[in-house]
Amino acid sequence: MTSRAVIAGYVRTPFAFAGKGELVRVRPDELAAAAVAALIERSGVRPEDIEDLICGCAMPEAEQGLNVGRLIGLLSHLPISVAGVTVNRFCGSSMNAIHMAAGAIAMGAGEVFVCAGVESMTRVPVGGYNPMPNPDLAANLPGAYMGMGETAENLVEKYQITRDEQEEFSVSSHVKAAAAQKDGRLSGEIVAIKTKDGLVERDGCIRPDTGRAALAGLKPAFREGGSVTAGTSSPLTDGAASVLVVSEAYAEKHGLEPLARIRGVAVAGCAPEIMGIGPVAATRKALERAGLKLDQIDVIEMNEAFASQVLACAREMPFDFARMNLDGGAIALGHPLGATGARITGKAAQLLKREKGKYALATQCIGGGQGIATILEAI
Amino acid sequence: MEIKRAAVIGAGVMGSGIAAHIANAGVSVLLLDIVPKGATDRSVIARGAIERMLKADPAPFMHKRNARLVTPGNIEDDLDKLAECDWIVEAVLEDPKIKHDLYARIDKVRGKGSVVSSNTSTLPLAVLTKGMPRGFARDFLITHFFNPPRYMRLLEIVAGPETRPEAVAALADFADRRLGKGVVVAKDTPGFIANRLGVFWIECAVAEAIANGLGVEEADAVMGRPMGIPKTGVFGLLDLVGLDLSRHVAREMAAALPKTDAYHAISHEAALFDRMIADGYTGRKGKGGFYRLNEKREKEVLDLGRGDYAPALRPKLDSIGAAGKDPRKLMEYPDKTGTYAWRVMSQLLVYAASLIPEIADDIAAADEAMRLGYAWKQGLFELADRIGVAWIVARLQQDGREVPPLLAMAAEKGGFYRVQDGRLQYLGVGGDYADLKRREGVLLLEDIKRAGQPVRRNGSASLWDIGDGVLCLEFHTKMNALDQDSLKMVEDAVRIVPKAHKGLVIYNEGSNFSAGANIGLALFAANVALWPMIEELVASGQRVYRALKYAPFPVVGAPSGLALGGGCEILLHCDAVQAHAESYIGLVEVGVGVVPGWGGCKELLTRWTTAPGAPHGPMAAVAKAFQTIGTAQVAKSAVEAQELMFLRKTDGIVMNRDRLLAEAKARVLALADDYKPPQEVKLRLPGATGRAAIEMAVRDFELRGMLTPHDRVVVEELKQVLTGGDTDIVDETGEDALYALERKAFMKLIRHPGTLARVEHMLDTGKPLRN
Repeated sequence: MTSRAVIAGYVRTPFAFAGKGELVRVRPDELAAAAVAALIERSGVRPEDIEDLICGCAMPEAEQGLNVGRLIGLLSHLPISVAGVTVNRFCGSSMNAIHMAAGAIAMGAGEVFVCAGVESMTRVPVGGYNPMPNPDLAANLPGAYMGMGETAENLVEKYQITRDEQEEFSVSSHVKAAAAQKDGRLSGEIVAIKTKDGLVERDGCIRPDTGRAALAGLKPAFREGGSVTAGTSSPLTDGAASVLVVSEAYAEKHGLEPLARIRGVAVAGCAPEIMGIGPVAATRKALERAGLKLDQIDVIEMNEAFASQVLACAREMPFDFARMNLDGGAIALGHPLGATGARITGKAAQLLKREKGKYALATQCIGGGQGIATILEAI
Repeated sequence: MEIKRAAVIGAGVMGSGIAAHIANAGVSVLLLDIVPKGATDRSVIARGAIERMLKADPAPFMHKRNARLVTPGNIEDDLDKLAECDWIVEAVLEDPKIKHDLYARIDKVRGKGSVVSSNTSTLPLAVLTKGMPRGFARDFLITHFFNPPRYMRLLEIVAGPETRPEAVAALADFADRRLGKGVVVAKDTPGFIANRLGVFWIECAVAEAIANGLGVEEADAVMGRPMGIPKTGVFGLLDLVGLDLSRHVAREMAAALPKTDAYHAISHEAALFDRMIADGYTGRKGKGGFYRLNEKREKEVLDLGRGDYAPALRPKLDSIGAAGKDPRKLMEYPDKTGTYAWRVMSQLLVYAASLIPEIADDIAAADEAMRLGYAWKQGLFELADRIGVAWIVARLQQDGREVPPLLAMAAEKGGFYRVQDGRLQYLGVGGDYADLKRREGVLLLEDIKRAGQPVRRNGSASLWDIGDGVLCLEFHTKMNALDQDSLKMVEDAVRIVPKAHKGLVIYNEGSNFSAGANIGLALFAANVALWPMIEELVASGQRVYRALKYAPFPVVGAPSGLALGGGCEILLHCDAVQAHAESYIGLVEVGVGVVPGWGGCKELLTRWTTAPGAPHGPMAAVAKAFQTIGTAQVAKSAVEAQELMFLRKTDGIVMNRDRLLAEAKARVLALADDYKPPQEVKLRLPGATGRAAIEMAVRDFELRGMLTPHDRVVVEELKQVLTGGDTDIVDETGEDALYALERKAFMKLIRHPGTLARVEHMLDTGKPLRN
């Protein structure tokens, strides 16, 4: 690497339930534009220095189609000179945007990047409006198009994960998120969104009163006789997030306050029918590239697509749960597919600083059978 | 006077139901109730009522969005808003003091010329207006709805001596055209018409069942279908209404009627009811009633003597077997069930005949009230004609019982009704027959049929000339199931109409427009392996419906009630539909293990592809059609049918069943000028790719255990049809190809034992088999 990249800002919108939450009437491009505008304002970066706006989106069509990355730049009044691109790696899309920015900085292809991510799971359904799978691939490799719930059940089977464990995990996610919300630990990263019905300032998916008894009463959501329920899955969510990635030299020169340095990144494929195990291979690769061991990591942000999926990863790659998802994870906060990568990477950087740790890991599983990971280090 | 805004005060079951139905008419309505002590949400009662109604089944709203037209409020903070309301309905507790206090408050704020009505079922108008200012009395009347207000067609209107005639006319017109009610003008007497007769009937039927030693099921078997009364009979009806409510009404009635009234003589064992109510056995809403479902969801019946429950036996009564459809034969049958039928109906008829004109101007009003308020197939006097009035009088005399003058007069004249020069007439209290007048804008096939002969007729359908150059195609099989003869008549219509007529209405006055193709025929043919015959039935349906669609004249479908399967498909081929608001339309073929074969798949795909505002792309239409047909979705109102594309946004919805034919005819005439048949639409369908996409969704259902093995078989065939078979997104698929795909899928499925099991089960039980 010729030049090192740092994370110099992180902002997101509130996350709200798709279909019934407070953001259902907000277009995804506007949601993302609000996150980008707030990022620029709060970080103090000079808009004209931005090379590119890289936006992650898992279902880039309809209101979040037509190269929404460019459109978000125009909507958030970035100078015309700032370019825009949309990137899709499903749930890993906006973490991938950060990787692309870090790579570009390393090769001297720009110094300032806005890495955004967005998903309105209300306004563009999972699978999109016109899913058109390849019939031969669908027949020969069903995992390629398999529903995520089924992959979560496959992990339950493979790793013998009990329903009890999953529910215990879910409750802890809600407890952490509710405490963070109550103590105001989330408000700093959130930009309020104006809607026709008023200002939305807080996350809408957290249920502080989630208890074991309520979870135990839920029916399996994906498989008859299965154990994964709506309560142990991340909810369908609307939201956007954005992260400012700049070269370390630029941050110094312009007096930006970096949160963390990007130390290593990786992506890796895995069997599609157990896509939830994806973080394991990606994390191992990223750690190796960073020259680190897992026990050296102080802060872990692992996306909670499903409780069973996080628990399966922990079986393969044991880590200290006390260091993971300190302010709650996607089961409580929500998982707007394209936005999650930017959220957990930005959050990991923010937590690393807050907790005064040395290294942080942000990692996610990805539909279709992949994992993605980012290692951050304190500055 | 036009009703643009209404208010209902009292958000109980009736009040909120009335508000919902006013919203169904597209009119915004304020729903007010009291502020409960200590409530943080001061409008919690009204708001709670709206929320409950959104979950209720059968649904009070024709569409959930209608709830937005109902604004919740309370009588402390929102009474001023009554100033903007043209009609204010009071539906609060049946307590004169509470009502008077409320009226005084309403009168202070209401707008000039607004009309106030009470939904009281027990208090006389004279009591309600007593001591009220004259201006109030002039704007006041009783509008008595039946429960549930959306579904029960009767509205009794009672005007006082001071009520402005314009106020009565305005409300009657609104209720008729916008709420779809059959308005019957009643006198200011206890129980008005329907409940005066209905409560007597219930009390009498219960008392006589106990006196004659009939079981609950036996009594209901006699008192239901054979009398043209819903099969719930009397005990089933009590369970439905709620024992507590019916006791309350019975007590009120007893208190309000003079001591000389015959009602007092039939009062039965109230102790039984009181015990049941005290134990929580209030009917379907409680732990059960005369019937209940045990833990295994098996039906049980109360033993009236012992007071405990035993399994339901569904007895086959000899009397009913011998009588067939003849109520007189049933009454003559020499056992306790025959005696029971005679005892109950003769007492009721004697009572009713003695009450005209005290409760209603004429017998026709009384009959209409029982038809619409208690869902009897015919009114009491119509039933008396069917039994034979002379026979009734003779038997009364034989029993040594008194014969009221009106009954004696009817016997002498030959009946309560007669047909004169093709017109239906009823016997007036003065002894003269008078024409039964229909309201302006009401056209009934029943009247047309009485006055003349059909243009053409076979065993399953007829063609009638309904005037102004329009023909009406009427189905008249059981449930209006469609068979070769029905199709033949459609074919005849396509040939006959252009000769001398302008267009065609497809309409009938059965309870249901059509339950679909006669699957009994298909099963019969399948059992003897007459596959070519089945294929020809499918092909001829396609041929005939297609001819209808491209005929050189406009065709307007006019459904009411169920329009399923083939009945839905014929509507899909019409140029336009005028639907009764209570139309329940759906393509339910998968329920019997087949796919729509008379162009239903093709037409629904075409609609989802071409309708303005429909989602676009190669999969959108396919996915919508698959979802609708694959889950046999049935619209629960005409408005819902528009959402499911069974009806177009441009199709009309008629609230009043009696106005359906006239409006459909008007639609034909409007389309007839410069009519051009539609052009064939070709579709671009996704073929194998589309099937893979559908499979993604189907697999989710399968994993969740929501797909039975035979569902899987049917789904595979439905996928083939809706994705265009062996086609590709760049190719166009025309109607011929889609018809061929439907036929192929249908023929493959009808040969499958799983499908035959479904058909058989449906014919036996009326319910789908989940094999």
